[in-house]
Amino acid sequence: MSIAWQLLRRAAVALLLFAAMACLTFLAVEALPGDACTSLLGRAATENKLEQCREENGLNEPVVARMVDWGCGAVQGDLGYSIKRDAPVTEIIAPRLRNSLVLAGVAGLLAFPAAVVLGLYSAQRRGSRRAKLLDTASLVMMTLPEFVTAAVLWLVFSIWLPILPAVAVLPSDATIGEILPTIWLPAITLAVMVFAHVMRSMRSSVVATSARPFVEAARYRGLPERAVLLRHVLPAALPPAVNVMAVTAAWLLTGTFVVEVVFNFPGLGRLAVDAISDRDTALILALTLFGLAVFILSSFISDTITRLLDPRVRAGVGA
Amino acid sequence: MTDLGRVTGDDEVLHTSTRRRRHRWASLGGAIVAAHVVLAFVAPYLPLQDVSEQHSDAVLQGASSAHWFGTDNLGRDVFARTLWGGRPSIGLAAASVVLAALLGFLIGTFAAIAGGGVDKVMMRVNDVLLAVPSLLVLLLVASFIGREPLVLIVTLAVMYAPPIARLVRTASLNVLTRDFVVAARLRGASRWELVVGEVLPNIRGVVLTEVAMQFTWILLAFSSLSFLGLGASPPTPEWGLMIAESRTYMSITAWPVAAPVVMLATLVLGVNSLVDRNGVDGAT
Repeated sequence: MSIAWQLLRRAAVALLLFAAMACLTFLAVEALPGDACTSLLGRAATENKLEQCREENGLNEPVVARMVDWGCGAVQGDLGYSIKRDAPVTEIIAPRLRNSLVLAGVAGLLAFPAAVVLGLYSAQRRGSRRAKLLDTASLVMMTLPEFVTAAVLWLVFSIWLPILPAVAVLPSDATIGEILPTIWLPAITLAVMVFAHVMRSMRSSVVATSARPFVEAARYRGLPERAVLLRHVLPAALPPAVNVMAVTAAWLLTGTFVVEVVFNFPGLGRLAVDAISDRDTALILALTLFGLAVFILSSFISDTITRLLDPRVRAGVGA
Repeated sequence: MTDLGRVTGDDEVLHTSTRRRRHRWASLGGAIVAAHVVLAFVAPYLPLQDVSEQHSDAVLQGASSAHWFGTDNLGRDVFARTLWGGRPSIGLAAASVVLAALLGFLIGTFAAIAGGGVDKVMMRVNDVLLAVPSLLVLLLVASFIGREPLVLIVTLAVMYAPPIARLVRTASLNVLTRDFVVAARLRGASRWELVVGEVLPNIRGVVLTEVAMQFTWILLAFSSLSFLGLGASPPTPEWGLMIAESRTYMSITAWPVAAPVVMLATLVLGVNSLVDRNGVDGAT
């Protein structure tokens, strides 16, 4: 099978998977107790008012009809209307998505290159004092929850040495120039987590690869250590790390609830938490599906990269 | 980050030379975990101050002989709240992880033994469940269905069973190819006998390691949920909730945040270093 054909097939599978998950999500959100009208009217809800509100917003249509309707709209870029916030969902999400992308971008830039380099280093210098220190530090970074890391960073950089602002008070449509100065603490908090996960996977992958016979063979051929590392170990060790990077990248875009709440950052994570506590079903649905899309897309991309990195696949031997 | 741990895992090959060092770490970890568990059990019987009694004349105080860890913004004793604060999370996480382990073990061994199409479908569903962000689901469930412990335990167990199931399946497949299993099959052992008599004893170590790791992720997921205001409800002393309640006052006194932070951190790191040893000893 040619690589293009394989990719096409996988893309089709991913799309189908997404469609199936989207239907399931729609039904699940539908099954949650209460709907947009009960949440909008709150305690003022009477039978009559509820009925009127449902009639006006088309909530009395059968579930399947609404699902198809929603799906057709979504394909054309209309993700529905938030009754609670009285605005189209896309308009609510767009500025938040931009902010989240900026945050994820900064965190990724801080974490990924350092993680790959230090992962290699720690695997190469296994057993040295520095490598041990690095391993212990990464374990600590990986296992502490975000709000703990955030609290520590906060204590150090905003209170003891007040050099970084602790909490941003920003409207969601602030310009990037306004966001950047306040982004450091949330970005560092995220970067700490991501760095630890990627570094550890890089390290174990390099350790495992270094033990393989072809590496030893390269060394016996008299290649300098540097060439062995960069030309033989690295290409074979990267794919598992790329997988972890893809998962963490997806998490950076969709899993940042706690960090955004801690630092009051106007991104998708805080929007999701707000939407859930407001029971804004239209928004919850859109955000959940966005999360799924990001996850499926990231695993598709990592799969593709992994395949392209694999010399056996590139040579068309088929793996 | 609870999701990243759930999804990416962190398996590495340990070398004999590092075992002894790991062993020492493991004893330390074990001691820390034991201390946490004991504390969680005995906290109600210790001569501590009342955890929810408010002293409006003594808010946000530093450490003193009257209040060892000072007081929070409502004048409650931080020391007592810190010692009590592990009870909800540890209890809930322990219950969830037992249920998750049970589910994961059943699903994993079933898929391994059934093989073929059944196995494929089950693992696909498993992967899809793994892709769902657990904190999002928890928030949804807590907000729409309720934050009763039983609801949260079941949700957590369902969200954290897939990684255990995947590991159990891989480990079981590994064991099922061994000669002694073939021998048992030839003896006419039933599938159930195979699972309980041959597979279970041989995958116990690896699975326990994974279960312990998932325990920490569940603990952190629940604390995060409390931190976001949808887990333990005030005035319950719970570490995540305590951090959330006190973080705005951190520039006045750091104790109400620092104490639960240290407790959570030591417990999670303790379990992690304890697990390292079991990972080595129990590897098949």
